[in-house]
Amino acid sequence: MRLTPSIAAAALLLVSLAACGGTASETGTEAAPATSIILITPNPVGTNSFLQLGVKGAEAAAKELGASFKLYESKDPTSIAQNVDAAVRAKPTLVVGISFSFDDVFNTVPKANPGQQFLQVDSCAKDQAPNLACVSFKEHEAAYLAGVEAGLLSKSGQLGVVAALDTPFVHRWIEPFFAGAASVKPDSKGTPLYVGGSNPFSDPARAKSQAQTLTGRGVDVIAAAASGGNPGVFEAVAASGAKAFGVDVNQCALSPGNVIDNVLKNVDVAEAAAIKEIFGGKTGGVKVYGLAEGGVGVNALADDLASSGCTVADSPDVVAKVKQTRDDIVAGKITVADPLAG
Amino acid sequence: MNVFEWSFLAGVLTATAPVLLAALGGLLCQVVGVFNIALEGQLLWGAFVAVVVSDLTGSAWAGVAGAVAATVLFSALLSIPAVGLRADPIVIAVGLNLLALGLTAFLMRQIFGSGGTYSSPDLTGLPDLGELGLDVPVLREQSPLVPVALLLVVVMATWLTRSRSGLRLRAAGQHLEAAEAVGLPVAAYRHGVTLAAGALCGLAGAQLSLGNVTLFSEGMSAGRGWIAVVAVMLSGVLPYRLLLACLLFGVAEAFGFRLQGAGLPQQAADAAPYVITLAALVLAALWRRKRSHEHA
Repeated sequence: MRLTPSIAAAALLLVSLAACGGTASETGTEAAPATSIILITPNPVGTNSFLQLGVKGAEAAAKELGASFKLYESKDPTSIAQNVDAAVRAKPTLVVGISFSFDDVFNTVPKANPGQQFLQVDSCAKDQAPNLACVSFKEHEAAYLAGVEAGLLSKSGQLGVVAALDTPFVHRWIEPFFAGAASVKPDSKGTPLYVGGSNPFSDPARAKSQAQTLTGRGVDVIAAAASGGNPGVFEAVAASGAKAFGVDVNQCALSPGNVIDNVLKNVDVAEAAAIKEIFGGKTGGVKVYGLAEGGVGVNALADDLASSGCTVADSPDVVAKVKQTRDDIVAGKITVADPLAG
Repeated sequence: MNVFEWSFLAGVLTATAPVLLAALGGLLCQVVGVFNIALEGQLLWGAFVAVVVSDLTGSAWAGVAGAVAATVLFSALLSIPAVGLRADPIVIAVGLNLLALGLTAFLMRQIFGSGGTYSSPDLTGLPDLGELGLDVPVLREQSPLVPVALLLVVVMATWLTRSRSGLRLRAAGQHLEAAEAVGLPVAAYRHGVTLAAGALCGLAGAQLSLGNVTLFSEGMSAGRGWIAVVAVMLSGVLPYRLLLACLLFGVAEAFGFRLQGAGLPQQAADAAPYVITLAALVLAALWRRKRSHEHA
């Protein structure tokens, strides 16, 4: 056992190294342009389609503006803070952070660095400094549209949602979805289940069990809002003959024939627009992107619906109803209740 | 019985199977006195290799074989220092758990070119028993590894109590010096058992990534290996009691989903397995204390 202390020290070192995380990768470093953007993600980008869109939007904006672009990927709250520190020290034109994971850091860092411009995508720090701009989305409007499709296509009138966590933000994918269904099928019933556990955003096995629990109760349309767990939901509906909805990006191809549509968030479009505004001098403030601004949507509204692989393409009447509902929401005839505001 | 209840039992089995297979490995280690808390890492590693091999070969059974072989190798990282060099198995196991998490994430990027989740329509999962002709409720949608896991409980219980080699193994665990004194190759037993436990964890991982679902996602073991460790501690090294402990978690999980559907908050349903763990640990401790008093 004499080895123990040194091994323990090595293990501790390993833990602390793992916690440091934070890798930086560079793209496009041609002779250091005068302007620059640093994008920080809360997690490794990988196949996380949401973060991929975030990177795509920032890259596109940087290219258009002739700015250099750097990506800092974080692994956990500690490495987020370290990456933000590193980004601020590099003094770029703009520091971009994606998601609510930056709420805490962006409460304090922008105030401590008034000369630096910041942009937070998909959330906003509570105590917003004048040099922090925010981009947020009305996900509930898109979820409502998905609900309309679900209500029209469900035979049993029983709907479900498998969501990652029971947090206020996640409810934007739940109640509006059921409300949309109820608007076309008043007697429809909705049941949400939450993955939870020790890895709520990446536990497909649990997500699948939950979807099976729902289909076992007669639910025939399930909206997946479980991030990495979504493929598990798709497997469950494929086996039971039910249908599912994907989230954030087009997930129809992940399980051909089993996904009706997706609750889309066009992070790239909104982020690129916000970056351009900031470079143009319009700093600070909150920019909200809903159906009207094209920041959220469903594949049924997209031009490439036929090639999207989504099964809603087979029901032109449903697509027509979705388009009409979208127009009504944009025109203000229908107001979708925001669970976050409640 | 209606469909709802059959599907409940099926849900319990699905949730139990990977935990049970890993716990059987943990139990074997416990028998020879190696406290193995690397089950979580071994499970994750097995799940990863199963998906990689199945993806490369197009055969789910090749995936299972690959997972077993690779996890046996992985377990050598525990058996060589812990048994051969007499280092603290707990410290090594902690390292292995971290290693599995990082290594699978790293290799995933190397092999599939991306992190996060890997799933593909081309990836073959294990067949359902229903497809293999065993079309009975509860088992219909389970993979063949589920009955294998249940069978292994019986095999292990019989082997450990009724066979010469099983009894010797237990002797080696219960009194190391005495076993060595009568000439049992204790070190060889411990090495062999730790590697065999790796094979079981490989099966557990394959069941998770090719049986329960057909995909790999980073950290998808999601605490199941730790629950297996607790099940081993609760079992008192008795396979049937181990099965009970694992089923308890399966029931807690499947029941939690249903309670959620009935309106119980997610956070409370989430806590169920851990509350049960805590209660069971306290009860087991009290029971052990009572027994030691009786001995004294």
